[in-house]
Amino acid sequence: MNTFKKMLIYLCVAAICLLCLIPFVILIILSLNTPQRVFYEGNMFLPDFYFQNFAEGWVKSNIGTAMINSMIITALAITIIIIFCSMAAYTIARFKYKFNTLIFAIMISCMMIPGIINTVPLYTLMIDLHAINTLWGMALVCATLALPQSTFIFHGFIKSLPRELEESAIIDGCSWFKSFWKIVFPLLKPASASIIILNGFGIWNNYAQAVFFLQDSKKHNVPQALSVYFQQFAGAKWNLMAATAVIAIVPVIAAFLLFQKNLIRGLTEGALKG
Amino acid sequence: MKDNKIGMHTFMALPAFFLYAVFFLYPLTKGIGMSLTDWDGISAAKFIGLNNFIKFFQDKRAINDIRTTLLFALGSAPLLNLVGLAYALLMDSKIKGKGIARMIIYLPAVISPLIMGYIWYLLLQPSRGFLYHLMENMGQADSFLNWTAKYSSSMLVLILVNVWQYAGMTMVVYLAGLQAIPVELYEAAKMDGASGIKSFRYVTLPLLVPSIRINVVTNIIGSLSVFDIIMSLTGGGPGYATESLSIYIMRMCYGSKTGYSTAVAIIMFFLILVPVLISMRLTRAKSLE
Amino acid sequence: MKRKKLVSVLLCVTLCVTMLLGCGSNSTDNTGNNENGAAASDSEAAASASTASTDTATQEHVTLKFFTGKIETIDVINEIINDFNASQDHITVEQEYQKDASNIIKIKFAADQAPDIMTTYEKGFLDEGKYMDISDQSQWWDRLTPTMKDLCTDITSGNQYRVCTNMTMAGIFYNKDIFNELGLEVAYTWDDFISNLETIKTNMPDVTPFFIFGNEAWHLGHLIEFLPQGYIKATYGTVAAETAFMNNDKSILNYGAADGAMAVFAQNLLDMQANGLINADVLTATSDNCIQDFANGKAAMFSNGMWCLSSILEANPAMESSIGFAPYPAYMEGSNAVILSAEDSGYCISSETKYKDEVIEFMNFLFRADNQKKYSETLKAPSAFTDVEAAWASATIVDEVSNALSSATNIGFTNSKPAGFSGDDAGRLVQELLAGNYTAAEFAEAFEYNWDEGMK
Repeated sequence: MNTFKKMLIYLCVAAICLLCLIPFVILIILSLNTPQRVFYEGNMFLPDFYFQNFAEGWVKSNIGTAMINSMIITALAITIIIIFCSMAAYTIARFKYKFNTLIFAIMISCMMIPGIINTVPLYTLMIDLHAINTLWGMALVCATLALPQSTFIFHGFIKSLPRELEESAIIDGCSWFKSFWKIVFPLLKPASASIIILNGFGIWNNYAQAVFFLQDSKKHNVPQALSVYFQQFAGAKWNLMAATAVIAIVPVIAAFLLFQKNLIRGLTEGALKG
Repeated sequence: MKDNKIGMHTFMALPAFFLYAVFFLYPLTKGIGMSLTDWDGISAAKFIGLNNFIKFFQDKRAINDIRTTLLFALGSAPLLNLVGLAYALLMDSKIKGKGIARMIIYLPAVISPLIMGYIWYLLLQPSRGFLYHLMENMGQADSFLNWTAKYSSSMLVLILVNVWQYAGMTMVVYLAGLQAIPVELYEAAKMDGASGIKSFRYVTLPLLVPSIRINVVTNIIGSLSVFDIIMSLTGGGPGYATESLSIYIMRMCYGSKTGYSTAVAIIMFFLILVPVLISMRLTRAKSLE
Repeated sequence: MKRKKLVSVLLCVTLCVTMLLGCGSNSTDNTGNNENGAAASDSEAAASASTASTDTATQEHVTLKFFTGKIETIDVINEIINDFNASQDHITVEQEYQKDASNIIKIKFAADQAPDIMTTYEKGFLDEGKYMDISDQSQWWDRLTPTMKDLCTDITSGNQYRVCTNMTMAGIFYNKDIFNELGLEVAYTWDDFISNLETIKTNMPDVTPFFIFGNEAWHLGHLIEFLPQGYIKATYGTVAAETAFMNNDKSILNYGAADGAMAVFAQNLLDMQANGLINADVLTATSDNCIQDFANGKAAMFSNGMWCLSSILEANPAMESSIGFAPYPAYMEGSNAVILSAEDSGYCISSETKYKDEVIEFMNFLFRADNQKKYSETLKAPSAFTDVEAAWASATIVDEVSNALSSATNIGFTNSKPAGFSGDDAGRLVQELLAGNYTAAEFAEAFEYNWDEGMK
């Protein structure tokens, strides 16, 4: 019975993984096809092994610089999100000041406002701040967009932590502020890990904001580098685009493998256990 | 315990709020003002009161877009939650290769949305895509064509693709929630004779309420403001058949109806607010139980 | 302890004040129409402040922003820009490419951040005074063909606000091998055109007689542009037609009439669809599908512009001698076949640029005959400069094009479309038609309604 159940679980997991891998496989096949190849014809799963796409894609799109830019933006934005949001969520969850409730209410309700309203005013603001074509400006905008949801997530998790943990520290002479960093913040690892995953990919792949705030081609991020293969009236150069996208995914996977131990530990080390 | 001392902890929300105020609330107040004008993005704006709002409810296309959006959300939000929870329960069990499996589940999110639409097209395009050829080999080509050509089923395709792409994200939050449940509780439940479904019902589910709340709310918001999935798969078409409110807002904004588009955005805000408030009320009651 | 309390109170007060200020500015927006003006003066101040600081810092060194949405030309323009930047030391030109340039430019204008030079052009922005009058730049106009100068002339004012360096053509691409095999001739009337399609359908059941990639709204919008609106432009002449578009002169446009050019066009399209003369997956087919099918002999004809030539050749390099090019057949009583012969690669200068002389200096460089030759050959489009001899395509294709041009009435693009009803919007209406949501007459009415709404 137990082995049967286990088998079933493995089967399900394998099926899910297969489903999630499909687009990735297609991406790789595309990146290895010649421009003449029609995807639907012949054996779809046997590409032409045309490696030139990668060389051409690398040169034409400046994807190297773009990856570094995306990396800096993502790292900066994630750091801001984790620190600011966990702090905000802590005080909101623990202390019922009117002012805290108000901030939380404003943030949650603004989550529901479509960002396009802001486009023009935000653009003027960024110009006034001299933040156009800067990675920090882009990181701040990306972080801002993720603030409400991340605060919301942290808030949910902090509420589920027993208050006694900090109170014992307070009795030992710690201030609330200190006890947050010493006791609560380390307990937030699972939530932090999930926030990194939730927002990291989105910021890495941000296109909607990058279009306005990263105009200089030296400051382009990954999707912008990919967009140079789009012809308005004649389709796109899909093979080059796929090859470039594959190149751009490599560091993400590498980073994931590098951090995965920490991330997974963050996710699995429910600090409450024990 | 009531805390009435004021210390550093009182101001811990300020950095986040300051950032938010500068980059969101300040531009927002400017943006909301535009909803009462006929601004076209270039020439001087004229104050026209609530005319934009009145116009919205008289526009057949806008009403159709509300219907499309609601239909999409009704299918997508519950399904996303269920699938996300199922994924999380699977990934929480003690199996080998969890790390790799999780990474694979996030992979779709790493592929740039610019390409994602094209890949979906290669898979799903009627009479050309991979799935069509597969069905053709099974002698089901005609039924496949009927299935994808019809309006209601193309909505189904959109919902399924959306669930497929974002289930991993929902899973992450559930997974974190599951990990926060102390093992002792399960053990205690086991001692009381509850196992399997019963321990899920009485231990897991109640303690998962914070995660459920987060996921329900974010999925409602995400589904009702759906943009990129529809844009990359159908472009809102054919015609306006699958156009969502967000796409409508974007098109109005770039179609020299900037003032009107902000008015629609405000209407959309209220459209999202109602189900979010309801679900927050419901999950709050549950967590007090 | 007291001090901490004070700090918190102060913070709350500042917070409330900022929020009230936000509401305050909000209410002034509502009561007056000065929101725009205020935003403009703000950013103008910022802009002048920033230029002032750069002026003092780097003594007369000027950076020009060159904004483009033309991906095909990024590399060649960069090459020319690099040559230019290296040739002198007081101007640096920077190119910005945007995939969605015609929308992005709206935001730039709205935020008062127009680039110095841009390749996008819209009549609406011209009317708002966003472009500089360049009628006095005779060093360009003297070299340009007279037809091109006319195409660049704004009909309201009679002045020139943009200069276009190339020609582009749109018509019907056809597979010459298929035509030869079946003994078909290029059709100039609708009946002949349909009978050609029928012949292909009966004799080559695997070949799509006429391919329409209706998933892409712009393509269907172009069909409107070339057929019903092409009829108006050909019948009344460019100037009268443009004036009618601009003033919504219903006696000429006649969109809604059940027997008008719009309704007949819609009916023709529906008939073609019903008789299986177009691809069955018209609503989901993409431009890529069309190019692939045509390049592999699976589609006999399709409508598009010369800009797709390089894609066809990339998909099948051996096809060059089989590509035929023909005008759109006449489909209304007493009308002529039409072909698009229009401007390409237009450049506008922002009316707010502070560096007019520098912009002109750069454009003189860009328009040099050698640079234009290089540019035209990359773009694969004939140059509009009389002194540029560019080998833009193979001799057979150049022949095809010039025959087609001389056999039909030449029309241009419709530049005076309503701001709220773009070519893509028109294309989406055609999608509704093809999806079976309209009869031809209803479609014509819906088109008129949307056009009128877009005018407001």
